[in-house]
Amino acid sequence: MTRATVCLALSLLLGGARVLRAQSQSASDLLGRGVRHYQALEYDAAAALLEQSLGRDSAAALADSLRARALSYLAATELFRGQRDSAVAAFRQLVLLNPHYRPDELIFPPQVTNLFQEVRRATRAIAVAVPPVTELRPRLERFFTARVLASSLADVAVTLAQEDGTPVRELYNGPVADSVVVTWDGRTAAGALAENGRYVLRVAPRSPTPDGPRARQVLLEVKQEPPDTLPWPPDLTTPTLLPERTSGAPAFRSLAAGLVVGAAAVALPSLLARGKDATGARFAVGAAVGISGFVGFFARKPRPLEANVRANASLRETWKKKLEAVRTENATRLRSIRLVVRAGPETIAERGSP
Amino acid sequence: MALAAPAVVRSQGRPTLAFRGDAGLVWVRSDSAPAGVGGAGPVRIRGPVLGGEGRLVFSQFAVGVGLLSGTLQNADQTVKRDLIEGRLLVAARPVPWLEMSVGPFVRAYVTDSSTERWVFWQARARVDAPIVTASLTSYVELWRALSSQVNLVGGAGRVQGGEAGVVYRPPQRPYVLRLAYRVDDAVVRAVGSGSETLEAITLAVTVGGW
Repeated sequence: MTRATVCLALSLLLGGARVLRAQSQSASDLLGRGVRHYQALEYDAAAALLEQSLGRDSAAALADSLRARALSYLAATELFRGQRDSAVAAFRQLVLLNPHYRPDELIFPPQVTNLFQEVRRATRAIAVAVPPVTELRPRLERFFTARVLASSLADVAVTLAQEDGTPVRELYNGPVADSVVVTWDGRTAAGALAENGRYVLRVAPRSPTPDGPRARQVLLEVKQEPPDTLPWPPDLTTPTLLPERTSGAPAFRSLAAGLVVGAAAVALPSLLARGKDATGARFAVGAAVGISGFVGFFARKPRPLEANVRANASLRETWKKKLEAVRTENATRLRSIRLVVRAGPETIAERGSP
Repeated sequence: MALAAPAVVRSQGRPTLAFRGDAGLVWVRSDSAPAGVGGAGPVRIRGPVLGGEGRLVFSQFAVGVGLLSGTLQNADQTVKRDLIEGRLLVAARPVPWLEMSVGPFVRAYVTDSSTERWVFWQARARVDAPIVTASLTSYVELWRALSSQVNLVGGAGRVQGGEAGVVYRPPQRPYVLRLAYRVDDAVVRAVGSGSETLEAITLAVTVGGW
């Protein structure tokens, strides 16, 4: 084993360890180190690190804002390395990623920003940015918003369609110089509230050309969330309501008592002194008792209880007011139905797709 | 019947007194051919009567004594009898609408020459049926003799009777008015199924409880 062999082995070990350490580092760390190498004018190292940070797989990938920053530094690094084509390619990726992004003029010198502007003008791109979750309250004019971005002046149409392509509504149709905010009130073209389901928000150039910007789309999942309504007040029934008339039973009991006892008076001789000629006195008493029964019937016949009628009227009025209040409140609540819109990632629409 | 409870206001403590005065008409039909009272064949006599009853009431129990008297004649005034009735009673009200009583009863038809006397022990049951609570009540009372005696040949047979009427309690007044119809039938044995039937219609005023 010669000394050269030992040195080679150590170099390989150290190099391998460095590679492993770099791989284990996160994309954002690589970006940070790449920026520091750029600032130290170590462009080769910066380019390697920045490319590594951009090449990470999706699990460790940079967020779009950091990706835009990485592309800016990578383009500048490539420009200063004399790799203009690589710089143009990086800027082109940047424009396609975010047509609205601009490299900071306080960080990058004019030759870098000028090259970016040149690439931006040559690269026609559109994009759409939506919040991940939006709660629409049409009645409160809280709408869903989408920001449409364009790298250069473009005529676009922003449309909403069901997932199967059925058009729902056109939200915008016109030019976008830099960006435009498009709102959706949660209703279809017919004015109805959108049903639960999946929709596609699509931003496409009005006049597609092969070298024109690609259409972008975002999948929206819409769900209606009706508000809780108040329960109806319970029906007015007894015993809540007081009886409004006296019972008829006592009157009939009185009549029955009078008639039965009157009949008994008339029938007594037949029952107790059978076969004897009774006088007519029994009829007088029987009639008197029977008439007393009728007197009792009319004295105790059902009649309205005015105090209870008045009390019940007041109860009914209160109940009606309560019912009306609940009805009004529920109507108000039902009008304030919420739509929850969850947005998926922005994707490039397939050519020819609706 | 339970509605009668408020109508019958009773003293729960010391005993109370009640008095009743009766005035009425009595009809007697007799085919018992009593000796010395005018010969054979049915006799129909009638006449006004006056009576009274006093009661001592102990909560749900009462004891009482009653008397009724009048002169009865037939239509052509050839037959004349004095009617005298007297009775003692012990009564109880197990429920407000039911009164049960028992006691001796004496009835006498008196002529110048003889006296026909009936003595029997009565068991009575009276049911009150209110028409207008606390002011107007109807009632039916039935009775039957537990034992009976008469000073006629053959002796007394079945004796029974009944009464029906209406009681009016004027509001804010201390008295009670009563209109009643009564019929009593007494059979005399061994006289060819003879009997005496008494009918009475009376108007009574009662002062006091029960």
